[in-house]
Amino acid sequence: MTYRSRIVAITTAFVAGTAIVMSAHAMPSRGSYVVVCNPNSSVTAVNRTFLQDAFLKRVTVWPTGEATRPVDLPPGSPTRRRFTEDVLKRKVDAVRNFWQQRIFAGRDLPPPELGDDDQVIKFVLRVPGAVGYVSAGAALNGAKVLTVK
Amino acid sequence: MTNSPIPAETARSRSSPRRRFLRHLVAVVAVLGSAIAWGSRAAAQTLPAIPDLPPGAAPPDVAPPTTAPVEVPSAPAIPAVEIHGFASQGFILTTGNDYLTPDTTRGSFQFSETGINFATEFADKVGVGVQAFAQNIGVGGNFNLRADWFYVAYRWRDWLRIRAGRLQIPFGLYNEVNDIDAARAPVLLPQSVYPLQGREFLFAQTGGEVGGFVRMRRGGALDYRIYGGTIFVDPAILIPPGTDLQLQLYVPYVVGGRLFWETPVDGLRVGASILAIRLNVTAFEGGMSASIVNHSVLAMGSAEYAVRNWLITAEYSRWHAAQDSALASSQFSRTSERSYAMLSYRAAPWFEPTVYYALYFPDVSNREGGSAFRQDDVTLSFRFDVGAHWIIKAEGHYMSGTAGLVAPLSVTPPPANPADHWGVFLLKTTGYF
Repeated sequence: MTYRSRIVAITTAFVAGTAIVMSAHAMPSRGSYVVVCNPNSSVTAVNRTFLQDAFLKRVTVWPTGEATRPVDLPPGSPTRRRFTEDVLKRKVDAVRNFWQQRIFAGRDLPPPELGDDDQVIKFVLRVPGAVGYVSAGAALNGAKVLTVK
Repeated sequence: MTNSPIPAETARSRSSPRRRFLRHLVAVVAVLGSAIAWGSRAAAQTLPAIPDLPPGAAPPDVAPPTTAPVEVPSAPAIPAVEIHGFASQGFILTTGNDYLTPDTTRGSFQFSETGINFATEFADKVGVGVQAFAQNIGVGGNFNLRADWFYVAYRWRDWLRIRAGRLQIPFGLYNEVNDIDAARAPVLLPQSVYPLQGREFLFAQTGGEVGGFVRMRRGGALDYRIYGGTIFVDPAILIPPGTDLQLQLYVPYVVGGRLFWETPVDGLRVGASILAIRLNVTAFEGGMSASIVNHSVLAMGSAEYAVRNWLITAEYSRWHAAQDSALASSQFSRTSERSYAMLSYRAAPWFEPTVYYALYFPDVSNREGGSAFRQDDVTLSFRFDVGAHWIIKAEGHYMSGTAGLVAPLSVTPPPANPADHWGVFLLKTTGYF
């Protein structure tokens, strides 16, 4: 195989692979979760990309200037799986891998993982700037619900 | 001045494979045990206890959602210090040539890494961290503990973050995690682009960096880094055992940058990296000395598409190196070409197969010069996540060509009579937290 044909083969394989995967890609349906934030926040709605950037800590402040403090559920949580696939557009395993890379490259630390909805609500109520998600039926106890646009 | 290849008898006579294996096993188990103990402690300290409330009851100082401000007690819920670590032990066997570490044709357990890091943030703006790292790979291994990276970081805005310290070099998609087994699917990243033999020169620089993240509404987002500093190279990793060769290395500068565009298509990002480095080397042997001055410019284009359970990656790179030396074998000016395409599929939470094809031409002007002037690498790799903090990997490479066997800076001659077509088989297990 000549050099040129190798390059062509690699390029073709990448383009074809991308096309196949993209064609198989369908928008996941919204799961039954609620995005919640600290009740003192003046923010009432955010777009999905802001939420994505906040949970990947690429954005660290709310539009109001307050620091964001995202909090996750455990990796095995169905609510986290739905939220991650819907908002972050990735699988939970991919997000964990993303954080492994960030941690061991000395780049950043992941959001804390709390055990269940109740713990997330308590965190959100106590921490200014906090944002999390809980299953749709969870008791909010005063946590503010954010609309995701 | 002459140079000697690594005398195989010297390497083999230091200790028997069985003794080496037992020594490595004991070391890795000890480190892994310590790491897990640290992890348990860290996990216990991760978050402060939050008092339980009766189901459905409002916290004492929190009112139901209203438009009026609510009095809520502030709490330092972010952990004071995060501790993470890993320990890896691998086995490497080659069918033809010793590769990456000595004696691989007989099978070698000299393929170990361990590290532990500490990081914290203050007031949402300032962060500090340090990672201690030791490895036993190649001629300069032997678990020499060192600070892999350390930093102090200040975030002024999300689009302007400043860091100083010993910082991992952002070059391509994966250079920063080249020795972090848990952070990637295969055991070996494509060695054409991420050579372990070049780790000392490519992994980290001591200096400063600015970078940031800029969201562009419907245009996606930009993630950029610009850095400059120096590199402190351990000469031991370049010196073959059994010789009296000594090296002094000095890097006057390393500068570079990386720009990634997170496209509007979720999971698709493309980018470019560039790195320029000057390296001054003085070699001493047998009462004689010789100097080597190396100017290199490395450039890379990258594309990654992560969607659902798939990860598709391709990178293309050219490295131009101009080296002046009194050693004829170490004098050259040439451009190498490196590329790969990789496909990973997360078939199950515990199983991820990966396949990639990598190409390496050390001299683009001599692509058809024979097996010493190219290396093809076809790899099939399996990652098993057997637990939340434990992975096992098995991997096979079919290699064609021997260009990847040449040592950095060409301070030692290439191996005599290498096998043109050869295989590499690796097993590796990693515990991490």
